[in-house]
Amino acid sequence: MKKQRPYLDRVHTWGRISSLTTLCVMLMFPAAICLYLNVWPSFHDVFSGLIKIIPLFWTTAVIEVVSYTPVLGAGGTYLSFVTGNITNLKLPCGLNAMESANVKANSEEGEVVSTIAIATSAITTTLILAVGVLLFSPVLPHITAEGSLFAPAFQQVVPALFGALGAGYFIKHWRISILPIVVMVVVLVFSGGIPTGTLVPIGVVVSLLGAFGMFKLGWVGSKKTDAAAE
Amino acid sequence: MDFKNSLPMYLIGGALILFIIAQSLFFLIKAWKRGKELGLSSATLRSTVTTSVLFTIAPAIAILTTVISLAGALGLVLPWVRLSVIGNLSYETVAATAAMEALDHAGGMAVEVTDQTLFATIAWVMTVGSIFPLLLLPIVAKPIQKKLNTAVAKSKSDLPDILAAAAFIGLIGAFIARAIAGSGKDEIIGDGAGVLSIITLVSAIVISLILETICKKAKAKWMQPFVMPLSMFLAMGIAVVAFNLLPPELALLEWRG
Repeated sequence: MKKQRPYLDRVHTWGRISSLTTLCVMLMFPAAICLYLNVWPSFHDVFSGLIKIIPLFWTTAVIEVVSYTPVLGAGGTYLSFVTGNITNLKLPCGLNAMESANVKANSEEGEVVSTIAIATSAITTTLILAVGVLLFSPVLPHITAEGSLFAPAFQQVVPALFGALGAGYFIKHWRISILPIVVMVVVLVFSGGIPTGTLVPIGVVVSLLGAFGMFKLGWVGSKKTDAAAE
Repeated sequence: MDFKNSLPMYLIGGALILFIIAQSLFFLIKAWKRGKELGLSSATLRSTVTTSVLFTIAPAIAILTTVISLAGALGLVLPWVRLSVIGNLSYETVAATAAMEALDHAGGMAVEVTDQTLFATIAWVMTVGSIFPLLLLPIVAKPIQKKLNTAVAKSKSDLPDILAAAAFIGLIGAFIARAIAGSGKDEIIGDGAGVLSIITLVSAIVISLILETICKKAKAKWMQPFVMPLSMFLAMGIAVVAFNLLPPELALLEWRG
């Protein structure tokens, strides 16, 4: 075999190409919608929506990139961020696979197993979503329509989704959870109509400061989370 | 035909999905070959694939549920694409809601978007809001991996884990708090906090904890991934039952409008 650059270096090159092409392709998606519908939203409108989420999303992006990269391996990281759903799917899937295969996260074997796991997971998700969307497209209008038997289910989807998603976290990190939720309920009692886009950054900042304070006080951290660790 | 679910929309979405599958296949094949070179057995590699497929089914159904739940307001294609590329179960709801609020779409996710310009605006906000990691990764992934790989392996502090959990809790907490005390528009059902939102929220949490406990007690690790989607579906089912069983004045009671 001819002499090649180390595998990891090649993965980074492929990953960079993959991230940047996905970035371009992704931007073409809303552009294609605009071309198809022949409507062009004003910059002001897009910006006023973005300004509510960018401070949070882009900060979270930095935290996620920094914290997941060492765990997921190079190939796994690039692929995870391209295909999304990291915390709820790609990260546990990759960790699970490395554990099952009995390889370490920062070894090259770990790199390979993590990449295979995340690629498989991405393909499976994409297929399940595609099949689900095609199956549901004929029935969807009937089940979400007002007056349908299932309408209340869809009106209450947000509490159902976040209750189910949060339950485990709240129990595992109950010390951290109480403060942000109480603060946000109080905020809402005084200003019930505050948009979610404004409420989310408040919650995140309060939660981060609270957690950091508790860590410094020794309320959360090493031995306390060990027992509850996933 | 509704413009949100029309054939051209499906074609645009389909093209993107194929692009994503092709990328995943590329990485899969490269890693597989490298695994062979490293001496990993075919059995190990195959079992990695099987484990990962099984592991993925339940969370993927949860993601599908999110697609379907967002579809009430946004049609199927936009949520489908957003949750297949970069997207994330919890962020996409936040992003779509923020865009709707910016354009005064009354009722948020509970009301269908019929205005094409609003729809296009939401598509832009959801997309641009999510792409930052793809700008960041090409620059920082390599140095981080080289340096942190060793540092993190050695470090004993779990502050990074705690902060990641705290950020996540702050995010979900906003929606939980809204279900408890948020006010909505008077004319829209299911928009503000009320009897039904509390019933659904509490059911989702309780069911999820019960299932979680069963998993632990029965040592049923395979069941773990199904806990989240199952709790969500059951809580939505309870909302339907409660809506039909409770007297209308109680079922529709929203204390904050």
